[in-house]
Amino acid sequence: MTSLATEAPMASPVAEPLRPIAVEMTGVDKWYGTFQALKGIDLTVRKGEKIVICGPSGSGKSTLIRCINRLEPHDKGTITVNGIELDGSPGRTQDVRLECGMVFQQFNLFPHLTILENCMLAPRLGRGVAKEQAEAIARRYLERVRIGEQAMKYPSQLSGGQQQRVAIARALCMEPRIMLFDEPTSALDPEMIKEVLQVMEDLAAEGMTMICVTHEMGFARRVANRCVFMDKGEIVEEATAEDFFGNPDSDRLKQFLAQILH
Amino acid sequence: MNISTADFWGYVGQMLDGAVVTIQLFMSGFTLALVFGVAIGIITLSRNIVIQAVWRVYASIIMGVPSLLIIFLLYYGGSAMLRGLFGNNLYVDVTPFGAGLAALTIVYAAYVAELVHGAVRNLPRGQFEACAALAIRPVSAWRHVIMPQLARLALPGLVNIWLIVLKDTPLVSLAGLNDLVANAKIAAGATKEPFVFFIAASLFFVVASALTMPLSNWLERRFARGLQRVKA
Amino acid sequence: MNALPIDPALAWESLPAMLRGLMTTVVVTVIVLALGLMLCVPVTLARMSRNPLLAWPAAVFVVFFRGAPLLILLYLVYYGFGQIEVLRDGPLWFIFGSAFACAVIGLTLNHVAFMVDVVRGSLEAVPAGLTEASAALGIPPRDTFRQIQLPLAMRYGLKAYQNEVVMFTKGTAVISVVTVIDLTAVANEVFELTYDPFTPMLTAGALYWCLVNLIRLGFRKLEAYLSRHHIAVEKQRQPASAGFTALAARWKLALSQKEQVL
Ligand SMILES: Nc1ncnc2c1ncn2[C@@H]1O[C@H](COP(=O)(O)OP(=O)(O)O)[C@@H](O)[C@H]1O
Ligand SMILES: [Mg+2]
Repeated sequence: MTSLATEAPMASPVAEPLRPIAVEMTGVDKWYGTFQALKGIDLTVRKGEKIVICGPSGSGKSTLIRCINRLEPHDKGTITVNGIELDGSPGRTQDVRLECGMVFQQFNLFPHLTILENCMLAPRLGRGVAKEQAEAIARRYLERVRIGEQAMKYPSQLSGGQQQRVAIARALCMEPRIMLFDEPTSALDPEMIKEVLQVMEDLAAEGMTMICVTHEMGFARRVANRCVFMDKGEIVEEATAEDFFGNPDSDRLKQFLAQILH
Repeated sequence: MNISTADFWGYVGQMLDGAVVTIQLFMSGFTLALVFGVAIGIITLSRNIVIQAVWRVYASIIMGVPSLLIIFLLYYGGSAMLRGLFGNNLYVDVTPFGAGLAALTIVYAAYVAELVHGAVRNLPRGQFEACAALAIRPVSAWRHVIMPQLARLALPGLVNIWLIVLKDTPLVSLAGLNDLVANAKIAAGATKEPFVFFIAASLFFVVASALTMPLSNWLERRFARGLQRVKA
Repeated sequence: MNALPIDPALAWESLPAMLRGLMTTVVVTVIVLALGLMLCVPVTLARMSRNPLLAWPAAVFVVFFRGAPLLILLYLVYYGFGQIEVLRDGPLWFIFGSAFACAVIGLTLNHVAFMVDVVRGSLEAVPAGLTEASAALGIPPRDTFRQIQLPLAMRYGLKAYQNEVVMFTKGTAVISVVTVIDLTAVANEVFELTYDPFTPMLTAGALYWCLVNLIRLGFRKLEAYLSRHHIAVEKQRQPASAGFTALAARWKLALSQKEQVL
């Protein structure tokens, strides 16, 4: 995997239209029964880009990001990830999930496995990596998220921030090309948010393609190439971080920003 | 006491023999119920309509009918059923032990299966999602992530079932099994000392129940490696 | 087993006797449940008392009568009472000497012991925060118990009580050992007269099934009534549980939200 290579340049905001496309969603609809959670979503993410998605609770942010690795099946439109179209076939779904790592709000570590075992499980089962090699990979990424010395502990023995860093390491162990984050800091105490954001910024600096649902405005300003505002299942506004915060277009975004910046 | 000491000890010996039968029936009944119950519990997680229909009917009957009736049904009707299943030339003599074992298995396998369903329901959905997001295939996910956690979630309920099976085992004496309770009844009748023998028999079960607690605590500690706090 | 030899004529002929047996089962059940509700209060209070002279005997009572199988308790009462001269020669022998009373007494001892745990468990399930909040509002302890703890405990305990009632009702099938002619006893008599192993047992089984499911239905109505205030909350939470159902659907799991049995 070369996607994590440190020499990859930081993408600059607009001027790189020629990079290959990592994720493309066109006209995506999603229904929960009679409730439409996504309405005609069009979104293109290029390799190395960092996208921040925000919006009020219930606006469909989680649904959108979970459609990308098909934790939720979409009902209309197309989703293509690194050239693989999600058409519902188990083989393609599996391939896409190998391309994407995901970090959840609630960490979702496996409570009966140690930190090290949590990180080794998927490479061994999903990629068929040998035990020694899986352990080497796991230790490398645990070092990377600065938690190497806790490898033999169980998840419940760590703080929330540490658990979330383990969850990031666990996803990285599959060496994905794209990372999806669904409110990774929302369940954390304020003093732990920074350590997780720091890990995410390091990852961004290494050139990883990232799609983050988050309301951390500082993080968005420092890292995001583009910010996306969602409301009621639609993408309302899409802009560079600077314009997004400094010069919002729509009233809905203005209202939203006024609320969260207080 | 109006009997000779030798007679008294004779009855005590008989009760001990009966206790061995009770323990054998209880242990084998619980083990079979556990094995079949876990298998049934996992199979009936399937949404296949035939599997669901069969399971619903089976569970509903078991939950709605006394186990004593099922013991009688299998004891009186067991050999006729076996002939119906395997052909008329087969003749099997259904013993009380066999009928009791079959009844305990059939009844408590349903309860164990319910327990498995409950444990799966109580598992945080994030565990399934994390497996999917990590591209772990369903069979591997079940083996390495779901099953080990189910064991821990189901343990308290399993202890409950263990205790209920223990107290249902003596019912088989009503189908003629020569177990602890049957022998206690004989001894009580012959010696006119009902208190001595029935209280002794009760204490056997009381002590067996009481011993369950340390055993289950030990198991719980083993399953709970590093799980003091369980998160969503 | 596709050709179970059930004899409809015999079933029909024995139905009146079966129904009389069912009546006995119902009467015994109702009497013992009423006694259980009355007696469990003092025994539970004793069990939870700080005075060891009350707590210890109550604890011994519970451990013994919970742990001993009902069958042995019935033998103990039935054959034991005849050995107690005070009882046999006393004025109340017409009660203690009757099989019916022995069945009621044996069942009650067992049922009360279980009820103590049901009541204790429900009281302890009321979150400490609620009683503290009540105390902090200056509500006297007596009223806190009556207005807060008790009503909530009744709601928490209903499921446990239902399980106990169902288990207990099915457990009454053994009272025929002390010569009470209940439903199981009638089925046994019919078997001994006809040597038809299936018809009487299946008829009796069907009647028990109806009785037990009637009880379940009653409890469901009661629960709906007691948890009126929960309905709004359930509606709000629907997306989450709907989400789980959707997830279960994807994993092809059949998880009904049906009551748990134990
Ligand atoms: N599994 C589900 N079943 C039914 N409705 C759902 C489900 N998941 C989410 N929803 C609904 O879809 C909408 C979008 O949800 P979500 O994507 O989680 O919002 P966000 O992450 O922006 O808070 C919400 O109104 C939510 O109630
Ligand atoms: Mg969300």
